[in-house]
Amino acid sequence: MKTLVTVKRVPDPETTIRVKPDGSGIVTDNIKYVINPFDEIAIEEALRIKEKQGGGEVVLVSIGGKSVTEQLRTGLAMGADRAILVLCEQPLDSLAVAKLLTKLVEKETPELVLMGKQAIDDDSNQAGQMLAALLEWPQATFASKIDFAADQKSATVIREVDGGLETIGFALPAIITTDLRLNEPRYASLPGIMKARKKEIKEIPVADLGADITPRLTVVKMAPPPKKEAGKKVETVQALLDLLHTEAKVI
Amino acid sequence: MPTVNLDLFNPTEEHTLLRKTVRDFVRTHVEPQALEYDRQERFNLPLFRQLGDLGLLGITVPAEYGGSGMDALAAVIAHEELSASDPGFCLAYLAHAMLFVNNFCHNANADQRQRYLDKVISGEWVGGMCMTEPSVGTDVLGMKSEAIRRGDYYYLNGRKMFITNGALDDATLGNIFLVYARTEKGISSFVVEKGFSGFSLGQRLHGKAGMRASMTAELVFDDCVVPVENRLGEEGDSLLHMMRNLEIERVTIAAMSTGIAGRCVEVMTRYASERTAFGQPINAFGQIQRYIADSYAQYMAARTYLYYTAVRMDLNKPGQRIDSDGVKLVATMMAKQVADNAMQVLGGYGYLGEYVVERLWRDAKLLEIGGGTLEAHQKNITKDLTRRMDLIR
Repeated sequence: MKTLVTVKRVPDPETTIRVKPDGSGIVTDNIKYVINPFDEIAIEEALRIKEKQGGGEVVLVSIGGKSVTEQLRTGLAMGADRAILVLCEQPLDSLAVAKLLTKLVEKETPELVLMGKQAIDDDSNQAGQMLAALLEWPQATFASKIDFAADQKSATVIREVDGGLETIGFALPAIITTDLRLNEPRYASLPGIMKARKKEIKEIPVADLGADITPRLTVVKMAPPPKKEAGKKVETVQALLDLLHTEAKVI
Repeated sequence: MPTVNLDLFNPTEEHTLLRKTVRDFVRTHVEPQALEYDRQERFNLPLFRQLGDLGLLGITVPAEYGGSGMDALAAVIAHEELSASDPGFCLAYLAHAMLFVNNFCHNANADQRQRYLDKVISGEWVGGMCMTEPSVGTDVLGMKSEAIRRGDYYYLNGRKMFITNGALDDATLGNIFLVYARTEKGISSFVVEKGFSGFSLGQRLHGKAGMRASMTAELVFDDCVVPVENRLGEEGDSLLHMMRNLEIERVTIAAMSTGIAGRCVEVMTRYASERTAFGQPINAFGQIQRYIADSYAQYMAARTYLYYTAVRMDLNKPGQRIDSDGVKLVATMMAKQVADNAMQVLGGYGYLGEYVVERLWRDAKLLEIGGGTLEAHQKNITKDLTRRMDLIR
């Protein structure tokens, strides 16, 4: 099975994020970048599918500047076969990303597109759904387990939904977005790292894809979350309930 | 002039990825167990085998022999990252991957590699190297262990002391050792397996000041029977083997030192920004600033010398003795001092195990002794420099 996996470069969740004083974005000096953790889960799942099926291809796709090469190389060191980098310096909203991915899917014709359920920087949780709509493919979001029929023509996915778990079946090709509990991603092994340099990262200028990436959304303002204040201790459950009602006004 | 854009500490993409893999692994798997294994003086064998899964145990073994095919600088990165969290565990790694695997792989023949490499690269077998004896340390050429050939076998007699990975616990011998001994034609080395007749665990050594997560033992060879095909190279070849491998040993011990020091600088800098005294953070005081700034500057000086030495090092050739001795000399003393500075900045908390620097402080001392004492480096450097004044400037 040929699987396309999306990879977004995002700030390392371990770094302290500071918002610029004018609210136009975050301070990007001296912050480390990583693969979006949900995308890392998607890479791992694609590798496991390939290993289990004893064949196929795992192709990584990313959109961004040259610096994204670092994250793609990490994915290749984990074991992906090759990568495509759409060179684009301008910020994109989810619809623009979905439109660019549509073009790549038409070129690559994978049986499966695996994506993180959302990127941990803007938490939009839209690109997968939009891509499915544009392609008119089935979608299974928030996957915590994925199985394929023996003929690899259909899949069964267990989804993590608010009320519990939902199991759905659908025909391939399809879009699946990954949730946290799907798997635990592997480390890039040392032999994997040594092989990664020889793998292809094909660069495509964004204009060559001919997609309409005009922004529909504008970021108006960013603000840091309010500072957490010290908590207080109460003696009884009743006192807690009263405070939740009168002071916190949450019940 | 053209701009030089070199990240000395991560000169290639592979080095960057390696550091990321090891650092991520250390954060998730090594750090959480470090204090417990130190306190219990136990070796974490399952964790050690996970290093095998990542390809770290055969880091310098060429890919054609099933290793990871990386260079001396990669070995430095691995040791630095492991040691930032758990120097004791890292020492067991060093004894296996550098002192046994690297040494063995570079000096073995095809048949020997075929018989042993898989088992040590995977971590199924834990290896070590036997050079020091109860009464012979820096004066290594005075070693008394002797192997006498009779027919197709050598009979090895002697005792080896302070052998890292010599034991896996109180009663279990390590699996495989590279043992130096006198032979008719000079110093030779042999691969000795646990189970060879006449080979036994003398004692596992308890009560070490630090490095308590690695096991240290005295090993006994009493008419130990070693087949001729387990000799590495020809008789008398192993003085060269020893000298060559001491270079990577010293450079990786220097890397353990920068690992310790980097962590200590991190801990003291954070603590000094959070802890207050007299109504302000303690990093507002000149006395504390001196500890932090001096530590960082000394750390970076040693680290730069370390990577400068590693980037030029060829694992197949000797010839880096001045700088492998030099960097170990400067880095180990630096690590001990920086760990001490960190403990001073943390005050009473620094003296407690859970604040980490206490353990690193104990571990750092060993690095001035093992793999060559400070005095051995001073002796070697003076001797080499006197012959090669041109290297000075």
